[in-house]
Amino acid sequence: MSSGTDHHQQIDSRSPEVRTEALEDLLVEKGIVDRSRVDALIDRFENDLGPMVGARLVAKAWISSEFRERLLADADEVLATEDIQGAEMEHIEVKANEPGVHNVVVCTLCSCYPWALLGLPPNWYKSPEYRARVVREPRKVLSEMGLSLDAETEVRVWDSSSETRFLVLPEQPEGTGHLGLEELAHLVTRDSMIGVTKAQAP
Amino acid sequence: MFQVLRHTAKRPGEMRYALERLAPDDYFDHGGYYGRWEAVMELLLEEYGLLAPGELDVLLGAADGTGPAHRASPIAPKDPQKLPPDRTAPSPNSRTVRRELAEPPLFGVGDRVVALGVNQTDHTRLPEYVTGVPGTVIKIHPAEVLPDSTAHDLGERAQHVFCVGYHAEDLWGNEAEAGVVINVDLYENYLTAVGEAV
Repeated sequence: MSSGTDHHQQIDSRSPEVRTEALEDLLVEKGIVDRSRVDALIDRFENDLGPMVGARLVAKAWISSEFRERLLADADEVLATEDIQGAEMEHIEVKANEPGVHNVVVCTLCSCYPWALLGLPPNWYKSPEYRARVVREPRKVLSEMGLSLDAETEVRVWDSSSETRFLVLPEQPEGTGHLGLEELAHLVTRDSMIGVTKAQAP
Repeated sequence: MFQVLRHTAKRPGEMRYALERLAPDDYFDHGGYYGRWEAVMELLLEEYGLLAPGELDVLLGAADGTGPAHRASPIAPKDPQKLPPDRTAPSPNSRTVRRELAEPPLFGVGDRVVALGVNQTDHTRLPEYVTGVPGTVIKIHPAEVLPDSTAHDLGERAQHVFCVGYHAEDLWGNEAEAGVVINVDLYENYLTAVGEAV
C-alpha cells in the first residue's frame, strides 16, 4: 500500500463503498439483482419521496381544523383517503405540538422512520448519539440542535419500538394565516416533523 | 437492498436481528447506516447460501474470513416455551404485520404496567431502559405479529401493542430533566400489571 505505483493494490477491500459496488456486480452476475430495478428505485428515492408528502399534510391541517382533527384521530384513514402509501406505513400516528406541549420522535432500538411521509432519514436521526440521548436528556439535545423550550413546556418523546410510526404536527408560525397550501407546505421542514425544530417563519 | 431482502430476510424482525448480530465495528464504524446495510446484506446472503462464505473477499483480493459476515454472531437458539403461545388470527389480505385478535387487550388506558425483561442476545423489541420501571398505558395500537418470534421463525404469536408513558424521573432518577414523558410501544407479552409483578 505504500508505494502507490500499483493502483489496484490501493483498493481498500474493507471500504463499504468498494464492497457495495463489488456486491452489486456479483449479485447482478448471479441474477439475484436486476440493475434496471436498482436504478428505478434510486430514481424513486431521489425524485418522488421526500418530506413534501408530510409537509402537505401538515399544511392542510393548519388550513382546516376539520382535517386536523381527522389526522390526529385516525391518520391511517386520512392517508388511505389521500392515497399515500409506501414503506414503513403499517400504522401512523400524528402528534400535535401546541402551547405547553412539544413532541419529538426517535427509534432507540434501530432507526425506524416514516419514509413514505418524510423521505430518507437524516444521518443524525440514525446516529447512536441521537438514539441514546434524546430519551435521556431531550431538552439538552433539542437546545444543541437550536430549539430552546421553556421549562413549562412538557416534552413528549415517542420511541418507535413497534411498527407504529410517528409524525409531529408542528405549530403554525404566527402571521401565516393568509398563505395558501403550497406556501405553507414550504415552511414545514423535515426536521420540524421529527420534532427537533419548529416550522420556519416565512 | 430491497431485492436482496426478497431473497433472504422476509420475516418481520429478521433483518433487524441480523443487524443486531453484526460485530460492533461493522454496526458502528463501517460507513454509518448504509455501510451497516452493506454488511448485513453480506451476512444474509451467506446465511441463505446465495454467496459462498468469503466469496466477496476472494473477489476483492482480500484475505478469506475478513468480511463482516465472518465476524457476525450466529443466530441465537430461542426456547419457544419462553414465548407466549401462538394463537390463530385471520390472515390479512395484504402484506402487513397487523392482525385482528379475538381476545381483548389485557390492559386498558390508564392501567399501570411494568415490563420485566432479562438481558437477552436473541431478538426483542423491548428497550432495556424501561425494564423494571412502572409506566402508564396511554393508548392501544393495532395488534401485530411478535417480532421476538417471527425473527426466529417461531410463528406469528400476534400480540396487542400498548403505548406506555414513562416519567423521566422514574427512568433516570435525579439526573432526569423535569417535565419529560417518554412513550414506548410495547407488546402485550412484555407487560405485567403493577402489583402483580415478580
